[in-house]
Amino acid sequence: MRLLVARCSVTYEGRLGARLSPAIRLVLCKADGSIAIHSDTKAYKPLNWMNPPCTIEESDGTIVARTPKGETLRIELHEILQDTTLELGEDAGLEKDGVEAELQKLIAARVAALRDDFTLVRREYPTDIGPVDLLCRDGDGRAVVIEVKRVGDIAGVDQLLRYQERLDRDPGLAPTLGVFVAQQIKPQAKVYAESKGVACIQIDLDRLRGDVDPDLTLF
Amino acid sequence: MKFRCERDTLADAVATAQRTVASRSGALPVLQDLRISANADGLELIGSDLEITNRVQVPADVEEPGVAVVPKLLGEIVRKLEPGPVTVSVTGDEAVITAGRFSTSLRLKPAEDYPRLASSDGQGVRVDSTAFAAALRQVVRAASKDDLRPILTGVLMTAHAGGLRLVATDSYRLAVRDLKGVSMLAEGQRVLVAAKGLAEVQRLAGDGEIEVVLRDRDVVFRTSRAEVTARLIEGDFPNYEQLIPSSYPNRLTVSRDSLMDALERVQIVGQNRDNAAVRISMTADGLELAMSAQDVGTAQESLDAKFEGTELTVAFNPVFLRDGVEAIETDEVALDTIDPLKPATLRAAGGDDFLYLLMPVRTS
Repeated sequence: MRLLVARCSVTYEGRLGARLSPAIRLVLCKADGSIAIHSDTKAYKPLNWMNPPCTIEESDGTIVARTPKGETLRIELHEILQDTTLELGEDAGLEKDGVEAELQKLIAARVAALRDDFTLVRREYPTDIGPVDLLCRDGDGRAVVIEVKRVGDIAGVDQLLRYQERLDRDPGLAPTLGVFVAQQIKPQAKVYAESKGVACIQIDLDRLRGDVDPDLTLF
Repeated sequence: MKFRCERDTLADAVATAQRTVASRSGALPVLQDLRISANADGLELIGSDLEITNRVQVPADVEEPGVAVVPKLLGEIVRKLEPGPVTVSVTGDEAVITAGRFSTSLRLKPAEDYPRLASSDGQGVRVDSTAFAAALRQVVRAASKDDLRPILTGVLMTAHAGGLRLVATDSYRLAVRDLKGVSMLAEGQRVLVAAKGLAEVQRLAGDGEIEVVLRDRDVVFRTSRAEVTARLIEGDFPNYEQLIPSSYPNRLTVSRDSLMDALERVQIVGQNRDNAAVRISMTADGLELAMSAQDVGTAQESLDAKFEGTELTVAFNPVFLRDGVEAIETDEVALDTIDPLKPATLRAAGGDDFLYLLMPVRTS
């Protein structure tokens, strides 16, 4: 990814015309061939952009992106303040989802690994704000709400607390016990969870993989 | 591009092609649409996610040949039209669809954005469509849907004893089906075909024959309704032959339909419960199925059956067990067991061309 910070002016010509007067902005050029111009405001939303497929040419302090439909995005670079190109590699998001899904599946097959009196009721137990990763019962018959993350942070604990609040409206389940499970739980998340009465369990995925009873599968 | 086509013909073709368009947001957005080309021979509709491609050709009155990429919305629109001719006219990035007094226009993505797909040319081997589809129906169900283990998402097709063998497994069950006399592959040849693609072939197989064209990276199946191209999966399929026990001390023979019905009833208490297992108790008096689910209750049912061997209770995943029983096409099924922790085998009583190996589940 190329991160270019420059005083620049931008002209877009297509179905509509648009122009940005000179100012310091961030130009992002991604490996997928897209180009986006960001200011220091407006959060995630670029001021202007062009999606692939488009051709991007640069010469004499001007970057021009063109689409097959005839749209043109022209960036005049008046002063380059920083120009950095970094290799980001594989999309970490995809890998994260795969690990979390596998973690949930492995834990579901062996909830007793979390606490030996847990029994699984259901994976993806539905609530009206989304499904809970795992719903279990403990040895006393209490409903246990389990949220599984690869990395546990405060937002994950909050998510679990919201699920508990919904499920505690069900007299057949209340009062629920919350358990936050992750490969790694941030210290602030642990403190927050404990202050809210949520148990935290750090789990080793590799150990869990080996811990699943091999007799359950053919190979 | 401009053409006219009967509503039913177009709706059926669009529905078939749309089954294999990309659904995930991470894919090229253009693959979520259909590619339609029109020429003097009629229409060709293509839906592809680059793993599986459906190509459908239908007759049409083509006034102006061309190519367009149309959104999935076309399917919903055409389905709801009045019966009769439908006219589609494409100019620039807009398609106008008219039928009777109805008219709509859709914004189109550029046709040149659609990836160039490998052509489906080539001559192949012809197999009986009905027999092939029946075999796929029995085997494809056992393939994994978990992309974390891509090898298991394929069906192994291998030359075996002068015929064709199909094998699929998700590590919990294994299905093996032999098609005697079907010479699709050379001696010792084996390919792993994406199960999703074979599921499409099974769905689209009509009467007559299917032509199978095996290529380096994919395989093309030409059915009477459409052409399905499924990619080949690279990698080593598990050594399944060593998983199948050479003998079983216990055999239960029971009516297939009775067992299916009993499983359906007993399973009700365990529905929506992961890890709920169905216990099968086998004695000289017959068979009993039992299931229990915390917070719900219990269910049990006894069945007349013939049992040879030592009394035994084995627990199975009820969905996997039902899949295996349902795959058997004869009146009676044979369940061969060793002990509560070793794989059991389901097969047609007296039959030897289909085998379903199923791992029990451990219960307390």
